[in-house]
Amino acid sequence: MAGILLSRRDFLIGCSAAAAPILTPMTFAAAPGENRLVVIVLRGAMDGLDLLRPLGDPDFARLRPKLAQNAEEQSLPLNGFFGLHPACAPLMPLWQAGELSFATAVATPYRSRSHFDGQDALETGSGEASGAATLARDGWLNRALQVTPGAQSLGAVTVGVEPMLILEGKARVQHWYPVADSRMSPQGLDLLGDLYDESPDLSPTYAEAQLLRGETEAASGNSGEKALGGYVAERLRGEARIATFSFSGWDTHHRQEYHMGKRLAAFSEMLLSLREGLGADWARTSVIALTEFGRTVAENGSGGTDHGTGGVALLAGGAIRGGQIMGDWPGLDEADLLARRDLMPTADVRGYAGALLHEMFGLALSDIEGQVFPGLNLPQTLQLVR
Amino acid sequence: MPSGTLIESIRFGYGPRLEDGILPAAGLDPARLLVQLQDPQKPIPREGLTLTHRLALLAEQRALSQAAKMGGPKENPAQKALQALMAEELNDWVWDAVVTPNGFAERLVNFWANRLTVAYKKGPGVGFLGPYREEAIRPYIAGRFADMLEASAWHPAMLEYLDQAASVGPSSELGKKRKRGLNENYAREFLELHSMGRGYDQHDVTELARLFAGMGYDENGPGLDLMRAEPWNKKILGMVFEPGLDEIARLINFVARRPETAQSVAQALAVHFIADQPPADLVDAMAQAYLQHDTALIPVYEVLLNHPAAADPKFQKLRRPQEYMVATMRVLGLGLDQSEGKNRLRVDKQLNTLGQPAFRAPDPDGWPDTAEAWLSAPSLAARLNWAEMLGRRYGEKAEPAALAAIALGAEARETIQAVGRAEQRWEGVAVLLGSPGMMRR
Repeated sequence: MAGILLSRRDFLIGCSAAAAPILTPMTFAAAPGENRLVVIVLRGAMDGLDLLRPLGDPDFARLRPKLAQNAEEQSLPLNGFFGLHPACAPLMPLWQAGELSFATAVATPYRSRSHFDGQDALETGSGEASGAATLARDGWLNRALQVTPGAQSLGAVTVGVEPMLILEGKARVQHWYPVADSRMSPQGLDLLGDLYDESPDLSPTYAEAQLLRGETEAASGNSGEKALGGYVAERLRGEARIATFSFSGWDTHHRQEYHMGKRLAAFSEMLLSLREGLGADWARTSVIALTEFGRTVAENGSGGTDHGTGGVALLAGGAIRGGQIMGDWPGLDEADLLARRDLMPTADVRGYAGALLHEMFGLALSDIEGQVFPGLNLPQTLQLVR
Repeated sequence: MPSGTLIESIRFGYGPRLEDGILPAAGLDPARLLVQLQDPQKPIPREGLTLTHRLALLAEQRALSQAAKMGGPKENPAQKALQALMAEELNDWVWDAVVTPNGFAERLVNFWANRLTVAYKKGPGVGFLGPYREEAIRPYIAGRFADMLEASAWHPAMLEYLDQAASVGPSSELGKKRKRGLNENYAREFLELHSMGRGYDQHDVTELARLFAGMGYDENGPGLDLMRAEPWNKKILGMVFEPGLDEIARLINFVARRPETAQSVAQALAVHFIADQPPADLVDAMAQAYLQHDTALIPVYEVLLNHPAAADPKFQKLRRPQEYMVATMRVLGLGLDQSEGKNRLRVDKQLNTLGQPAFRAPDPDGWPDTAEAWLSAPSLAARLNWAEMLGRRYGEKAEPAALAAIALGAEARETIQAVGRAEQRWEGVAVLLGSPGMMRR
């Protein structure tokens, strides 16, 4: 695919790793009109039950004796049943302004628990429990572009790093690599650390090396994620109307309290910088953050949670009808769980994405159900947008 | 041809390439490795890797720069051509090993090139580094060590690197006229690093320097400069040598055949391939074979490959930076398309970052070959950065667990599981490439 490279700086991917880390890819597409859609892929399976805590469910405290120990006092009250993770405190003004919503007990149709396959399913919009992709193996957001009335196609270019599957496909899109961030998530580092623990000859050096890497990162003032929101806003104030990017680091098998707090704080900051950057255009913007699946309702033995099914999708933006927590709550009683371990999904998360496409860009319901999300039964009643 | 075992690939090569698939973990077939040495061609064929070519370019470059001083054109295409060739050979140090199906041959080229190190140094010698490797080392890896030693001694890269080209016999015509004298640098390293390592004294070094005086080269290639050659006989290690080319050859063969040399060569090979502290019986048996076969190397390799330590499933050596880089690139199945163009992998810069810049060993003893010299926090941090970068760049569509099984074998269950649990594909690949298993060979 030929295309135009939009680059803030002249990045040469693959030059000295220490000096010039690889970048978080962001992908943009242009759609007609003034409405803007941002799709964030939360890679790693974010624990919806920790973001949006069902304090009113009698089983919650029982299932999470450590993680939910102080949930009652520390969570930010939302609607009397759910409380928000305290690290999201910066988002409370959005909630109060009706610019933040949550969809609870959602999942893709994919029913296994592999990150890789689960993310592929989320991005291809697969309607299969196996996660099998469409024949073209394209992303649902790209297929949406193909059926958006009047969407202009834009040139696309990749600079070394693969584009996001969610926007891969026939419709032309642009790629943009503004943010230096090559770092593994804390979960990746845990996996690596465990391997080094088994190698006593290398493990002390490994520990030092990671310390060193942390210092270098701190010294270089890696504010990549914070700046991410601003970069996206800049594109959306230009000709792009659809943006998608990854926000990773949610695979909290260990020390969830710590990792989740850090990731949510970073996420909140990113979202606020997006709002700030968009200025008046925030009013015409919808943000939806999706993750491949939820996590086990019960905490595990290492202060974390494992791969599950039902989770949460987050919606934000000046365009959305916020202040709501949507979806039927299935309950945490053992009999209500999926396979006696996971939150039972009561809604196909693709329905929320499909409804946004319909309401923001006027995509025909038949196109959404037929092409964008095969097999989806689009709920008629969502009314996500103001 | 069967693709071999994991031990053959990791201990005696640069590790599996993606296309190799999952190799059987155990076992080792010496014949399968030795067959690689029958025709050890450079994996990436290149023009301009000969001394003749470089000497001509150098002459042209000098003429042009002379002319520029006299007011001629400032452009120096010969200079540019030389620089391009040198950049190419730096990259080839990595890419040859990445693409080769004959990892054992390439490991041996690097082993011997390192034992008989030439390195970057100001002066004309830099233009000869690539040809040295291809002309003085590669053709001899399956021959006699004595012949390799002789080819190395006469190669202008070595003549420049260890100052032999500047050594003047004090009683030679030039020595008398210009009051110049010996430079013992090469004679000393020849005995200390290249051959015996022990069993000689300062007197032998000085006498050897007298014998070597006059070894040099001009635009036609190497030769003995009679204006600099020291007359009279020399007594080295108890033997008398007369002046002249034949006597230099006799000396080199004599030293190559010394038991100290046998021991030193055997020890270095065993340290390189087996362990930082290799089994003594292995070293002795290799030295024995070396002496019995008049410094022929194949019999030495045969002893090495047939020793039980060669087939030990536990990998004891820490990969050096170049070896580590190459191994990671092979697992990903990278090809030469990644070595070209604006977005090429900058392997030359990466080698600097990892601490092993190509052709820049800090001292004449070459790059160290034991873990303690390489295991440091900054160096490991650089490897982890590299692993992340490669993961980002090539891992987005990879199957991390499948790659782990290829890289480390189906038995490496912990690593396979860990990389399969990463939250994204690229991260799983980064965990694999940064894992302890990838650090060893």
